[in-house]
Amino acid sequence: METRNKPTVTLVNKGFFNDAGSASSGKGMPALRVVPLELPYETNVMEDIEPAVNAVMDDIIAGLTKPLTEEEASPKQKEAEKPQRIIFRGSLEEVNRFFYQRGWADGLPIIPPTEEAVAEMLTGTDLPPDHLLGKLISRSGKATVEKIAINAVMAGALPTYMPVLIAGVRLLLESEPGFMGFCTFGFSTGSWAPFWIINGPVRNEIYVNNSSGALSPGNIANAAIGRAMGLIIKNIGGVRKGVEDMGVMGNPLKYTMVISENEEESPWEPLQVEYGYQKEDSTVTVSYPNGYLQHWPYNANDEGILCAVLDNIPRAMRCTTIMTPAHARILARAGWSKESIKTFISEYARGSTSHFGNGGEGAAPDGLTKGKAPVPGAEQTPRIADPSFIRIIVAGGPGAFIAHVVGGGATPGKKQTQKLELPANWDKLVARYKNVVPTYARY
Amino acid sequence: MTSKANSEYEVLSPWAEVAPIVQRGISPRVPDLAGKRVGLYLDAKRAAEPILNVVEARLKEKFPVARFSRFANLAKNEEVVKQDIKAEFEDWVKGVDAVVTAFGD
Repeated sequence: METRNKPTVTLVNKGFFNDAGSASSGKGMPALRVVPLELPYETNVMEDIEPAVNAVMDDIIAGLTKPLTEEEASPKQKEAEKPQRIIFRGSLEEVNRFFYQRGWADGLPIIPPTEEAVAEMLTGTDLPPDHLLGKLISRSGKATVEKIAINAVMAGALPTYMPVLIAGVRLLLESEPGFMGFCTFGFSTGSWAPFWIINGPVRNEIYVNNSSGALSPGNIANAAIGRAMGLIIKNIGGVRKGVEDMGVMGNPLKYTMVISENEEESPWEPLQVEYGYQKEDSTVTVSYPNGYLQHWPYNANDEGILCAVLDNIPRAMRCTTIMTPAHARILARAGWSKESIKTFISEYARGSTSHFGNGGEGAAPDGLTKGKAPVPGAEQTPRIADPSFIRIIVAGGPGAFIAHVVGGGATPGKKQTQKLELPANWDKLVARYKNVVPTYARY
Repeated sequence: MTSKANSEYEVLSPWAEVAPIVQRGISPRVPDLAGKRVGLYLDAKRAAEPILNVVEARLKEKFPVARFSRFANLAKNEEVVKQDIKAEFEDWVKGVDAVVTAFGD
């Protein structure tokens, strides 16, 4: 509105005042007049809203009528922010403390990004260090290949992960603006975290676990790729917790959530083929869940598996369901494809519509009392109405569990998969790091 | 990772460069709201509409001759100018003198 020469005052909840300041400054309008309201969050309870608005009416009127100060009319221009390349010298502990105190770490120790370590990381790409992929929100930081490599070193990544990280950054940059906000931890209070699925030959060459405990700690690729992307989002995108990242509860998946599909043991086409790539292509696919749950099937047949899915899959905008190879084979043998399972879920996974309506977006009807719950026979609504928002992959180890990655599923019409570009020396690089695998003691 | 003999590390900055964004001033204010067309702009979050209901009621009491019109961007996390309601929005903005925006978080 201000860019169209209309005086504006913006009302935000007091808890989002800093976020509003960051957003207006990031858009080049630091003096936007913002009035904070002292309110419960996302309320429509008039007995709270009325006094809160009454208390700021003078500020609202002044915001629209009080003449501009010189700084509001013509704010000082910012100079280019160009941090020193070599930023610090110190012991391991001192480096860690220095980075942590500047908000550049994630709470876990980092590997010091020395010149030598970064040079080694850069062997994972043929792109020059100063190659600019784009500018990452919220800070519009320049995502150069060197900055990606520095953050990758900090996360403990291997050079062989660079193609995945570069593809991941391209995904962040090429997503639709609103959608991109989720993957950069900003825009929402929902604590959405990027979930990275790796397909194609690369997943075996860099050992991205898709078997027992695929989403547990213990594999560098699964751990460091997600961690590096989180650091890239913080240090290149400039996303700060409690300022741009307004996730209410937060999300441990933000440390890392990386998996590959077990294409060899899947009876179905792998994800990248489903999305139009070749089986020989290596890809990374992203979505933004805010939760993760697991359950077991009612029986080891298609009915037992799918009825358990119907009962346990939560209401969400979208979802990725992870089937073990064993369950996938049972379903395929009974004639189920990925597509028919998605359609089945969207038609039959239903839940009672509560007094607040589907999704809790509506107003509470009069007469709602504590302790009321949906009654049997109440209206049932689909938990995920559109089958194209559901993604199914095959991964996991022996045993009978099914997983649902809640909120993180397919996003038709938006960029969700990126093909990896491998350096010319890829085979040599893979050979160099092929022994970096855990070998457990026998006992 | 390569360490120095004295176990010191000279480290590179992970913090990205930023090209300066042109900083623009805000628009001149209106001297008074009396007789003005006040736009009320809301997002999809639950609190936005009731907040603006109260704002409108209070402004009407104080400035009886002011006029009000509303525009709602109900697409979550999508800028209004990047949607197919852009033209409708531009028409609406042209028709108001000042705007109160409510985000309903």
